[in-house]
Parts: sequence; C-alpha cells; structure tokens
Amino acid sequence: MRIPLSWLREFTDVQLSAERLADALTLRGLEVRGVERWGANWNKMVVGELLEVGPHPRADRLQLTKVRIGAGPILNIVCGARNIAAGQRIPVALVGAAMPDGRTIERAEKMGVASEGMLCSGQELDATDDGDGILILDPSAPVGAPLVDYLGEDVIDVDVKPNRGDLLSILGLAREVGAITGAPVNYLSRPLKEGGDAVGANLALRVDDESLAPHVVLRLIDGVKVAASPDRVQMRLKAAGMRSVSNVVDATNYIMLEIGKPTHAFDRAKVGGTIHIRRAKKGETLETLDHEVRNLDTTDLVVADERTALALAGVMGGAGSEVSTSTTSVIIESAIFAPTSVRRTAQRHSLRSEASHRFERGQERRLAAVGADQVAALLTEWAGGQVRSGRLMSGVDHVPVATLSFRPSRVRSVLGVTIPDEEQIALLASIGIAEDPTADLAKIAVTPKRSVSAEKGSVRAVRVPSWRSDLEIEVDLAEEVARLYGYQNIPTTIPSADLPAHRPSPTLLRDRVRRLLADRGLHEVVTHALVSATQAELWSEPTSLVTGSLAAAEGTAGGDSIVLQNPLSADHDRLRQSLLPSLLDRVDANLRYGAISGAIFEVGRGYGSIKGTPSEWTRLAIVVWGDREVGAPGASATKWSLDELKRLLAQVAHLVGERPTYGAPVDSAVLHPGVNAAISGDRVAGLLGELHPASPKWREEPRIFIAEVAVAGLRSGRVETSRVSLPPTTPPVQRDLALLIPAATTVGEVVAVARTTVVRATEIELFDLFAGAPLAPGERSAGIRFTFQPTATGVDDEAISAELADFEIAVLRACGARIRGVAAQ
Amino acid sequence: MDLVALEKQLRSLQTDAATRVAAVASTAELDELGSSLLGKRGAITEILRGIGALPTEDRPKIGVVANEVRAAIDAFVRDRRVALSAGELRDRIERERVDVTTPGPAPRLGSLHPIPETIAAISEIMSTFGFVVAEGQEIEDDVTNFQLLNIPEDHPSRDLWDTLYLKEPGRLLRTHTSPGQIRTMQAGGPPIRVILPGRCFRYEAVDASHGFEFHQVEGLLVDRSATLADLKGILDELAKGLFGVAARTRFRPGYYPFTEPSVAVDVSWPGSKDGWMTILGAGMVHPVVLENGGIDPETHQGFAFGLGVERIAMLRHGIPDLRAFLENDLRFLAGFR
Repeated sequence: MRIPLSWLREFTDVQLSAERLADALTLRGLEVRGVERWGANWNKMVVGELLEVGPHPRADRLQLTKVRIGAGPILNIVCGARNIAAGQRIPVALVGAAMPDGRTIERAEKMGVASEGMLCSGQELDATDDGDGILILDPSAPVGAPLVDYLGEDVIDVDVKPNRGDLLSILGLAREVGAITGAPVNYLSRPLKEGGDAVGANLALRVDDESLAPHVVLRLIDGVKVAASPDRVQMRLKAAGMRSVSNVVDATNYIMLEIGKPTHAFDRAKVGGTIHIRRAKKGETLETLDHEVRNLDTTDLVVADERTALALAGVMGGAGSEVSTSTTSVIIESAIFAPTSVRRTAQRHSLRSEASHRFERGQERRLAAVGADQVAALLTEWAGGQVRSGRLMSGVDHVPVATLSFRPSRVRSVLGVTIPDEEQIALLASIGIAEDPTADLAKIAVTPKRSVSAEKGSVRAVRVPSWRSDLEIEVDLAEEVARLYGYQNIPTTIPSADLPAHRPSPTLLRDRVRRLLADRGLHEVVTHALVSATQAELWSEPTSLVTGSLAAAEGTAGGDSIVLQNPLSADHDRLRQSLLPSLLDRVDANLRYGAISGAIFEVGRGYGSIKGTPSEWTRLAIVVWGDREVGAPGASATKWSLDELKRLLAQVAHLVGERPTYGAPVDSAVLHPGVNAAISGDRVAGLLGELHPASPKWREEPRIFIAEVAVAGLRSGRVETSRVSLPPTTPPVQRDLALLIPAATTVGEVVAVARTTVVRATEIELFDLFAGAPLAPGERSAGIRFTFQPTATGVDDEAISAELADFEIAVLRACGARIRGVAAQ
Repeated sequence: MDLVALEKQLRSLQTDAATRVAAVASTAELDELGSSLLGKRGAITEILRGIGALPTEDRPKIGVVANEVRAAIDAFVRDRRVALSAGELRDRIERERVDVTTPGPAPRLGSLHPIPETIAAISEIMSTFGFVVAEGQEIEDDVTNFQLLNIPEDHPSRDLWDTLYLKEPGRLLRTHTSPGQIRTMQAGGPPIRVILPGRCFRYEAVDASHGFEFHQVEGLLVDRSATLADLKGILDELAKGLFGVAARTRFRPGYYPFTEPSVAVDVSWPGSKDGWMTILGAGMVHPVVLENGGIDPETHQGFAFGLGVERIAMLRHGIPDLRAFLENDLRFLAGFR
C-alpha cells in the first residue's frame, strides 16, 4: 500500500519525517518496503509565473510567453498549449532539464523565435494524464521554487500483511500513526446533499443469497458530467500507484484508498430496473473491464440486472455497463461480499484487483453505507449532478460489537516481560481497543474453538473495534500489547533447561561421508530435485537394487514418476527418481565452463510413487571425469577409472564397516553394458559404471564414471559402533594363489568361492590379473592373496592348508578355475 | 721360512696395504680390500701359515709383529673409510639434490557445498542449546503444509506461499519446513527442541534472490515456560553464531498464521552492506498449531523460527546471486574450503 504523506496528514497530524515515520511503522509491524520522493525526477523544473502571453509572429498555433522564475532573468518560452493566460503559475522545465520520458530540454529556435525552456503539461511531468494543456498551478504556488518542493510528495510503501485488511487504507494507517504520535485521528466526512426522486423510484435491489452478500447499498446520482478529475486528484492517485480514469471512476478509487472500501460505478443507462446479486448461470459469459470475455461458473457471484451479468462481484466491473463520457446517471454499488467467494472467483479467473484484494481480507460492515455516501459526495463535487434521496439496501448494516477477554498475567507469561495490567489496558486503548468494564469475563478464547474459564479478578475485557476482525482470541491481544510495547523493550533471555532426551543427529554419518569425499578431491553439489521428462527417463533406480533393511532405513526406490500439476516449465515438471540425471546435467555445464576434469557428489533424495504412496529415498551419487590427480611435473596424471571409483567407494563403505561386492552389470541406457556393476550388501548397495557409449552425455574424452549407492545411515543417521579385537603380537601369514580362470568366469565368482571356503582368511585380495600369451584367448591368470591372523595359539598351518585345499576343489568345480601355483610368505 | 723372512713379508704387506688402501676409491672397494687383507682368508692369515715352520721360541715374536701389522692395516682401512664416507655422503647429497622451489604437483581439492554447510553451521550453533536435528518429508499434503498450521483453505494468507501441486489431489511439495512442526509435535510430546532443515519448493520465477527450489531451517521449542523474551535470546545467539559476536539483532512484529506474536528478525554486523538485513521469521507457536500438534496451549507454550538457508549463505559469503548455488560451477564451489 503506497501512502502519500500529504493524504495521510488529512487524517492525522504527522510531524515525523518520512524516514522516521517509516522506521516507527516498521518497528510496529507495519513493514515499510521503501520511502519514495515522488517527483524526485523533476530536476531543473521550477514554478514559474506567466507575465505575458502573446501571439507568435509566424505560427498561429504557437504563443510567445514571458515567464518569471524568481530572481533570475525573465525567460522567453514558446508554447503550443491554448489554456494559458498571463498571471497563471505553471511548471517550467529549464534548459538542461531531463523529462520523465527521457527528453532533455534545450535552448531551441521555434519558427524563428528562441525558446528558453518549456512549460509542462501534467502528462509531460508524469503527474497527471492530461496532455492537452499546461498544468495550471495554484495562484499561491511559490514562484521560483523547485517543482518537486511544491508538487512533490513523500510516499511510503507499506507491506500490509494478510490479517490486516484494515490497513489497506489511508485511514487505517492514520490510526496506527496516531497511536505512535499520540495525535488524534480525524474521520473525514464529506457532506452529502440529497434531493429529487427517491433512489428506489425506478431501481430495485435483489440479493439471492445473503451469506454471499450480507449487505448491499446502492446510491443513484443523476446529471453527472464525466470528465477528467481535478489535477491534484490525478496526482494523488498516481502517487498512490493508481491510474486516473475519469472523475466518476476516480471517486470510487479515491474512497477505496482513503477508507478501504471498494465500490463500483455503473452507467445507469446501461442497467435495467433491478440490481440483482446472484450466482452466475451455467454457460453465462461476461466481458470484464479489461475486455476479456470470462466464462462464468455457477460458484461465481455476479452483480446483474434482469437480463445479464454486469460485474464479477468484488472483483471487476463489466465492459457493458462501464461509465463513459456519455454517461449522465450513475449507480454506486457498495457491498459486503463473502471473502471466500471473492477469493475463489478472483483465483479462478486469474483476475486479482485492488477491490478483490480488499474484499478477500474482509470488509467492515458499516463501511458499505459510508463508502456509498462518500463516493456520492466526492462524485458530485468533481462531476456535478444530484444524489437521489436515500439508499437502496439489503441485509444488516452493522454487526454487534465483539468483546474479548484476556488474562494480563497470561500476556506477561507469553511475552516474558512484566507489563502491569493497567499498562496493558492503556497500550490497547492507544490503538482504539478500549476496555469494556461491563463485559462478561468468564470465558477466555484460547483458540477460536476453545474457551477456558478464569477467575474473575484475573481477567480484563476489551471491545474489539469494528475494523479489527483479526482480533479473535486472547493471544491476539498479547501480540497487540507486545507490538505497542515495542519488541525492542522486551528482554533477551535464555530459556530454562527443560531439555528433551538426546537424539543423535541424522547427519552424523552423512557429514563424515561428505567430508571424506571432499577430502578426496570431490566437490559437493546441490542439484535440482525437479527435472524434465527427458532427464527422468535417462535412468531411474530399480526397486531390486537396494533391498531389505537397507531399503527400509534409506528408502525404497522405484515406482512411478511424480509429476507436477502446475509446473513452472517442462524442464522441471517432475521429481527425479535418481540423482544421476541432475548430476550429469551439471557435468555438461562444467564441461562448458572448461572443467575437462572433475569429480562431484551429492547426498540427496529420489522420489517416486509406489502404489499411490509417495516415497522419498536418500542416496549418494558420484560422477567423476577426466584426471583424478594432476601428475607431478613431467609425470602423467592419474585418470579416473572404474578401479579408482571402486577405491573411493571402498573408502565410503569402510565408514559403515562394509566391503562392497560387485555383481553382474545392470541393464541401463545410461550405463555401459560392459563397464558397470551392481553393488550388493547390507550396508552399501547400488551401482557404478561408465557412461553408456550410446548415451547423449557420453564423450570419447574425458570418460565419465558414475555411481549411485544407498549407504546405511545416510538418511537414518544410525551409525553402529564397531566392535574391535586386539591384534596378536605376531605378524599375519599370507598365502598367494595363482589361478587360471576360464573365459566365462568372473573374478567376482572366484572371490565369492574363496570367501565361503577360506573362512579363516581375514583379507582376500586380488593382487594380480593377467591375460594374453601364453594364456588361451579369454583365459586369465589371477593372483589372490589370503591373509591369516595368528590366533592366541599361533598359526594353525594345517587348518589353513585344509581350507585352501577345499578352495582348490570348490573353485574348480564351481568356476572351472585351476590353481597354477602357491606361494607362502 | 725363517723369522726374518716372515717378518719382512709382513712388513712389506703393511707397506703395500698402505698404498693399496690409499688408492681405493669407494667404501665398497675398501670393504673388499679390507677383507682380502685382514679376513679369515686374507693376506695376513696366508702369511701366518708359514708360522708352523718356525722354531717354537720364535713363534710369539712373529705373533707380535703380525698383530702390529694387522692393527696398522686396520687403522689404514678405518681412516680411509672415514675419508671415503664423507666424500660419498657429499656425492650422494649432490647427486640427489633437486630444485626444491618447484610449486609441487597441484592437488585436486574438493569442497563442501555452502548450502549443507550453512545448515550444518546452524545445527551446530543450536545444538549448544539442546536442539536436535530431524528431517521431514518433502512431499506433503495440504492439511499438514497449510491447514494444521492455521492456514485455512481460501484464506488470503495463502498468498504468502505460491505452491507447486502434484497431479495427485491434495498432495504438494512443501512450501516451507514448517509442516515439520506439526509432525514433530505429533510424534512426541514436550519438551521439544528441534531443528528441521531441508529442501522446499515454491511456484516462483527464478531471479537473483528467488528460486523454485530452496532450503529452509525450521526451529521449534515447546515447553512449559518458553517466552518471547527467550525467543529473542536464542535467536540473538544464533545471529551471533552466524555473523560474529559483534552482530546485532533487531526484533520487530511480523506476520505468520502459525505464530503469535510473530516476529521478524533483522541482523546487522560489522561489514554488512545495507544496515539491517532481515534473516528470519519467528514467533510464539500459535495455540491452534499447538492444539493441532496434540499439545495443550493452556499448559505448554513455545516458539518457532524459520530461515532461508540460501539467504544466510549469500550474506555470510557475500554471494550476490542465489542461482550460483544450483549452478554448481566447480570454479565457484572451489571457493568453499
């Protein structure tokens, strides 16, 4: 809400500067978004006095003027406007002035006569919408004064919160300002002269449903002359952020800004005999003032006549009954509409107006009549005409005064500050919330639906002003007291140690994983959860990858893609199921930025709808490309590879006491069919691999490797404390086996057999892998090292040899692999 | 072989050894020469084989000479070793000398993203006041995201949140972390001190200070006695934790449907650009919200607060455009140590 200060001053005395006032309002909860000096762009523009106005020797449509601008020399200015005469005071743009439209005023020859400036129209100053004549100033305007000092205006822009519809008016702000300054508030009331026929002589009012329009007031004004509003009105509306339309429409807007009551003016000649407030009919249409034809819905409330809808009630008028220059008779409709109905209609038609904004926030019942009368009074002042006697009315014109009880002790305990009862009463009174000593105090509204009883002596009651429908329960008054007392005056304390039970942070493991990866040279990223259909189709984690207790703790992936009903764009219209598409998108971006090598990771969520129930799961995704480490000078760089990625994953898995097991490749359009593996385990599961050569994201160079895994504790935060045994004082024993693996067998299968047969081994590692001559094509030689820790009784060579012998038999049977040699260390 | 001849042989070995030892160029050669002279099968031993031919009374005499010669040669070798080692060490040092002023191979330095790190910083500060971290769901329903937070359907306060709705009726992406208040209260009674960080979504056009995906941290404290003064105390500490002990806070009335009284918190710190910067919204938990969480507002009260992680990170790190957080340019990320 933009408040021109001169307008505010009509309602209450303001001695504060605009900036001081803005600070004071902000500290009262009326946040001032900005203070603007309206007219500040009028540089080199002053008030001038026309000394002479005479004909131009060579051009009939031009006049020569002599203008006094104070102490300086008299200026000769050529002017094309016809509305000027000697003795008038007018705005003068001096040579060098920059006009609001961007022009610069220069000394110029106009048909052979030098012109030393320009007389300005309201439009040229962007002060009014009148471009035809020069803006004629009041005879009292100080000649020579900068124009901004005379016509300029301080405007404060207040962010009015949804609960304070009463502040969407100059009057409402004046009440708050009055409470700050202590100055009284003037309730302006313009006298209204009625006469002629009664309003109801040939106009009727019919309201179908009083729950939608509890109170409607109509006034009728005959003999108006529609024209532009007075200059000062146009300027004021502009300063307040509204467009000037005509004196009739401006009168309704002026009153709306002044007291917060939207009203609507209809051209009487275009309306039938009855104003009928009803729901729209099925299939009915209405062309609104913005010249959009609206298809109405039966839940829309319309103002109609016998034949057709005239306006969307509380939202916008219709083009068919719009006031125009030919209008002579005007119906003013000033109504109270149900806020929800107006809101729904405004939303349905995506049509938010100054009126609907105010209706949605609730309207003071008594303002219906006040609004109609004030508009009628202003309208006749600006446009002439005769206000018909009386008002046409429906419904009840007032609601009973509400009283609200509260416990001052409760206010103290909520705020944590000792404000005595009487001071609380006084603070509330300063904003018009007066004590009601006669009220029944027994019930305290704790919530709108729940009241409690309180002891008589501990309770006070106040009358809720009619404009403060936001005050419903006790704590509403606590907030008022706090606001008026000043938050800055409330002490700063630390709450007593009423502490909840300890819970470990869910980010405990996550933070360790994040730190580990950052320490290994990876950059953490945070990417969009909302992706495009194309991205979503790139890859989604199958339900089978992460299962059992790990899925229970970290979330089950899979299901259907979750799609938005109202996406901002197709690029972000659904939730990702895998983090990888978002990360690959960032790889693209970074390759564009020149990062030919890089490594990124994200701990984030995937989302899916599993049998209609939304599921969110937490995964660690890693994408690496190019060089892992820069080489030393003269040495070559270490490149990212499947093994380097495995090394990284093993480090992550180590944090949860797991050794990743790599199984058969998964079938995926995003992963290289020959260079990817499923990772299975109780505590780490997922996949890793190289990007599919057919993928649009694939490149020859750099090669891109990706991984996405669930890690136990990443989401749940549950970290198992490890059990550790003391190592023996003697060194471990190692046995190295060389195996010949046939073409069809994987190392994973061989290692799996080793793990089940050689159970005494504490470590089983692949230390060598060789293919090529002299081996047969496809055949490989693998070196496997078994490490055995001695027990308390030393090394049991016999048992170890027995296990290795078992392994030899089992691996031949299961994998067709033969032992080539054995070495002991 | 007589005594004289033997003695002569030994003496000449000593003289010869002196020459040969002096001629040796490395400790390895010296070791070899040393054992060829003094070893079990060395020259001295070889000469002393002839001792058997001597008369018994001459044998000790030749033994004395042999020991003298042995000691002399041993001394030659020792002295020579000292000289050689020093030289060899010098040589080794010179040979191994490198230009130590080269900058060293550049490590690939990783980084932690400022959004999770800012959340971690907030959690860490609040943990000193007994707040624990919990994380909620991002897919919410209208009831929990709005209605139970005292934001009824068709209420103008809904304009404060432009919402992204799912195709499925009633479901939406949480517009704030505040529904976590309801879920926390429903999950367990007071005393409650909890921090709820996470991703939020709004139907909002992207610019330098807005995005449709962003992060918030919600805080909630409910006990029997928490006051607005306590809220001020805790949030003043939080501001000081985030912006330095010299940071100052300003509390002023705000508006949120789920708190009353509601508070807006501004902070100003040495080095802040524009005076007061609004960093968070807060307030005493609205009695309706307490009731919806299953807590009796007549026996318990509390406060809640919410802050925008991106905004805090922008202010702390001097980042002018929030879009950088989701852009993830590695050159930008590398700045976060």
